[in-house]
Amino acid sequence: MLIRVPLSWLREYVDVTVSADDLAHRLHMAGTESKGIERRAWDKIWVGRIAELAKHPDADKLQLATVEYGEGRRKTVVTGATNLKLGAIVAYGEVGAEYLEGHTGERMVMKPKDMRGIKSEGMVMSEKELGIGEDHDGILLLDPKLPVGAPLSEALGETVLLLELQPNRPDCLGILGIAREVSALLETQLREPERADLGRQAPKALDVRIEDTDACRRFAVARLDGVRIGPSPEWMQRRLVAAGMRPISNVVDITNYVMLELGQPLHAYDLRDIRGGALVARQARPGERIRTLDGVDRSLPNGTLVIADEERALGIAGIMGGEDSEIRGDTTTVALECASFEPRAIGRTATRLDMRGSSGSAAARRFAWELSSDLVPIALARAVALLRDHAGAKLAGTVDRYPRPRPRTLVRMPYGLVRKVLGIDIARDEAIHILERLGFSGCTIERDILLAQPPVERTDIAIPHDLIEEIARIAGYDRLPARVPDGPLPLIETHPLEEFRERLRDALLELGLQETVSYSLIDPQWLGRLTPDATPIAPEPLRIQNPTTASQSVARPTLRASVLDTARRNLRHRGGVALFEIAPVYLPRKADLPDERWTAAIVLAGSAQPDSWLGPGRDADLWDLKSVVSGALAKLRVGAVGEVQSGAPGLHPGRSERRGSADRDVMTWGQLDPRVADLWELPAATFVAELDVASLHGRVAPPRVVAPPRYPAAMRDLAIVLDEPTAYAAVEEAIRAAGKALVESVSLLDVYRGPQVGPGKKSFAVRLVLRSSDGTLSEADVDRAARRIEGRLLHQLGATLRT
Amino acid sequence: MVPRRPAFVPDGERAFDLFGRFAGEAHIRKGKDRMAGPQDLNALADRAVADIAACADDAALEAARIRYLGRKDGEVTQATKQIATLPAKDKPAYGAAVNEAKARIEAALRSRNAALHDASIDSTLREREDLTLPGRPVRIGRLHPVTATIREVSRIFGTMGFETIEGPEIETDYYNFEALNIPPGHPAREKWDTLWVSNPLGDDPKLPLLGRTHTSPMQVRVMEKRQPPIRVVIPGRCYRYEATDAIHESILHQYEGLAIDEKLTMADLKGVLYSFARQVFGSKSNVRFRPDYFPFTEPSAEIAFSCVICDGKDPHCHTCGGDGWIEAAGCGMVHPDVLRRVGYDPDRYQGFAFGGGIERLAMVISGTPDIRLFAQNDLRFLESF
Repeated sequence: MLIRVPLSWLREYVDVTVSADDLAHRLHMAGTESKGIERRAWDKIWVGRIAELAKHPDADKLQLATVEYGEGRRKTVVTGATNLKLGAIVAYGEVGAEYLEGHTGERMVMKPKDMRGIKSEGMVMSEKELGIGEDHDGILLLDPKLPVGAPLSEALGETVLLLELQPNRPDCLGILGIAREVSALLETQLREPERADLGRQAPKALDVRIEDTDACRRFAVARLDGVRIGPSPEWMQRRLVAAGMRPISNVVDITNYVMLELGQPLHAYDLRDIRGGALVARQARPGERIRTLDGVDRSLPNGTLVIADEERALGIAGIMGGEDSEIRGDTTTVALECASFEPRAIGRTATRLDMRGSSGSAAARRFAWELSSDLVPIALARAVALLRDHAGAKLAGTVDRYPRPRPRTLVRMPYGLVRKVLGIDIARDEAIHILERLGFSGCTIERDILLAQPPVERTDIAIPHDLIEEIARIAGYDRLPARVPDGPLPLIETHPLEEFRERLRDALLELGLQETVSYSLIDPQWLGRLTPDATPIAPEPLRIQNPTTASQSVARPTLRASVLDTARRNLRHRGGVALFEIAPVYLPRKADLPDERWTAAIVLAGSAQPDSWLGPGRDADLWDLKSVVSGALAKLRVGAVGEVQSGAPGLHPGRSERRGSADRDVMTWGQLDPRVADLWELPAATFVAELDVASLHGRVAPPRVVAPPRYPAAMRDLAIVLDEPTAYAAVEEAIRAAGKALVESVSLLDVYRGPQVGPGKKSFAVRLVLRSSDGTLSEADVDRAARRIEGRLLHQLGATLRT
Repeated sequence: MVPRRPAFVPDGERAFDLFGRFAGEAHIRKGKDRMAGPQDLNALADRAVADIAACADDAALEAARIRYLGRKDGEVTQATKQIATLPAKDKPAYGAAVNEAKARIEAALRSRNAALHDASIDSTLREREDLTLPGRPVRIGRLHPVTATIREVSRIFGTMGFETIEGPEIETDYYNFEALNIPPGHPAREKWDTLWVSNPLGDDPKLPLLGRTHTSPMQVRVMEKRQPPIRVVIPGRCYRYEATDAIHESILHQYEGLAIDEKLTMADLKGVLYSFARQVFGSKSNVRFRPDYFPFTEPSAEIAFSCVICDGKDPHCHTCGGDGWIEAAGCGMVHPDVLRRVGYDPDRYQGFAFGGGIERLAMVISGTPDIRLFAQNDLRFLESF
């Protein structure tokens, strides 16, 4: 949580002996993250008084304001503001002053202007022009008590540290907590603010009852009589504004002030509105509703803790008060609530009511952290003192219900642990000194055990390691040496599947494909666009319950949509793509984590080779894809990829193939169904492949190392005519079966269809390389093998030889 | 180019022309049909040598060879055959003349062949190519920078004995939060705004699924399966319920390190990360630790690497924001409660964990200005790596 710490406010509790920059850096390096320093300072802008006010002679909407800003210093400005009155105290910027343009927010330098014939020398300024707020409706009217003629920086200047707190440090939610850190870092004295004596007397007509002691840990109330509602003192208002809150009235401002000082929220009720004379912390009743201070009617969800009187809920505990018990102008008797709640329940309720964020409830954001219950009497006593001084309040008794007091933590740490954990020695004196500066009490070392009791505000200290962190962070993490660890190394396990996956990645790179990595959460509509009739090609996906955007609302069960999208977007600015992605797809499993199945997806589309002076270009085709797939598989020595399965949804029915076993696809590849290509605005000739990495890995053949052959090879070309449906694979298979070990390679040189072979026929020209490992093949050997092969092709496939 | 064969082929082999085709015997001229003496052979040799010297190319040379030395009808071959018809007394002189003529012709062929070969090389060497012409277009595939960075991280920690392992992206609340000291409702959950996952096969209320918000759940999974010593690094994808901007992504990659042993200290943690920074950014780089908060480490720290872009000298540096340090990762000593929960004795075992962003690292290394570029996969961006 980001908090604003005005330096002048911080200085009330601790002497700051370094510059604001140094202070921010020291805090940062001790664990309180600095997000920057906001400086309110102005040059050539003064506290001015409207000495004369006159109508512009030539413009109805403009006025001539003469501003006095010091002895003998008067300037007349032309202004369109309507909220100026004679004697008003304003910020006057003279010519040369920097300001923010009221509409655009642009930084400008003031120049003399001629406005309808009257020269305007400088300007009277709005909040927005001064850069301290958003208001540009009128001129900012300053406190009438500000000294006229003083530089505005002296009157209104402020330096504010912006600090990001971690949720383990609720004690730092109060500026006093930051002061405690500063006092430890700078070794300067901490000054606690004045608190009233709460006494022991119970108030009349006001009691407190905790019905849910798990949700409400402590509940105290003070009755204050004789309260006079009015504005809070000017210094308090300035601090509230500097810390980011708007002043309202003395009572409300004091509760906010104490919250900012100590971190503990409080709430003030008009006693007249408490029916039955008691405040009750209880669970909301079914159907119970309340209108909160922000004017919203809310129905209270189950599990909401409310603060009620004997009749109805007055507020949502720890989050926001109700409208009908709020402090009003004629309030004279105040019931001031200060309580401690179970933080998770507050957090849950605030989340449900959407009041947790920075625009929600300031109290809820604080109560959702583990605020110390010990703050309750401290904050109450502080508020009572301020109400006494600034609202005329007289304490008329307090009640403090604390059914299960939190035991004080005493941490016992074997001192040797400091070295064991940090790797360096820190002197015992220094450690104790650090802890004492941080407000720890009873710090001693007895028989090598360090004892320390954290300050009551600290709820984050429980174990020895917590003390080590405190000592180390104040001593400075810079003191830790950087050392390369020694000691035994573990045995390294092998990860063959992951290694195979990376080799597949490399193989595809070597084939010239670009790797991509896209979002694993996708638009569910994409899945409906992978087949012409929206039939899914993958199981129903896991859904994100609270997606940030619909386009990332399901965990992809296939990579096809992702690579098609990547191809589509790139084809807008280039002629062709050849890319792949290797990532898990997420397949739901019943009552288990999903199967995260590593998959490779490839897409080729558009130009495969550009035109060049060395030859014309060409577009990608099916055989480019086949080369990529078979090339990668060959490189990885993947053997048979399984049986052909019927149908590859989403792909061209005659130019695609799905292989694998009945229950798991190993590889799907081919031309995208042109109707699907249309849906993705892709070229009709788009080619995709999807490979199941684990299945391929399971089919890797062990290497069969061969020495270079010793005897020469013989070559034989063969031209055969076949019926159209006969697959080339059958030809090659028959050749290898017939030629046995002599067939070293079979390559297809030509495929011919046409008048020379007749309709329904095709011709293959194949080249055989024959070789024996036993000796040089004679012409007769080669002829014999060729005849055997020809015979097999004839009988098995009905082929005829072409001569 | 077809390999050159020598134009001169020793007698007894078949003749091939420049292109390796069998030249055949049809070209061979018939010899003359009359009695001849040594003086004729001398004249024949003179004529042949002159003929050969005039051959302008390999083909002419081969034709000349066949004309004079052709196995069947070469003039010298024909002359040789006449020995049989000579009187015995003339035979030795004639034979010597034949051999001499043959030797002279062969020498001339060799010399002319060498000269032609040299001339051809000389002519080749006189050729001048415009080397600024482009070559044939090639496709070059590159790793995506996220993969490249993951490999680099794994490699570097590998040199320090860390084994790379992987784990599930879709996790349970237990591993992502509870086992790491972040029970439901813990305010620290706000640091890791979560994408919750619903299973179409039925949600199990006891097993709420989520996109892991960090790689830290693998700390727990590894420790549950293995006994110390442990040194692992876990790269992988993570998910956040977060609005994206130039430096934030809701789907991102992280790397996690975990080392558990009996004696590992925070100084060792600093040493490991210092070594990492030096290997990534060079030996001039440095690391800075400052206290931070993670519920599953105590003490905890944030690691910053010294800014390699500006060396801390540019107050407006986009990479480090001007302070010279790049916040890179969170780390700390594994919390005793986390160790206890996986069944380790925290009095005996201790160690450290660290976690940082892959894209963040890739941005710093490459000067990439916007984290969203990584997932956009514009090939013009990817090809620039």
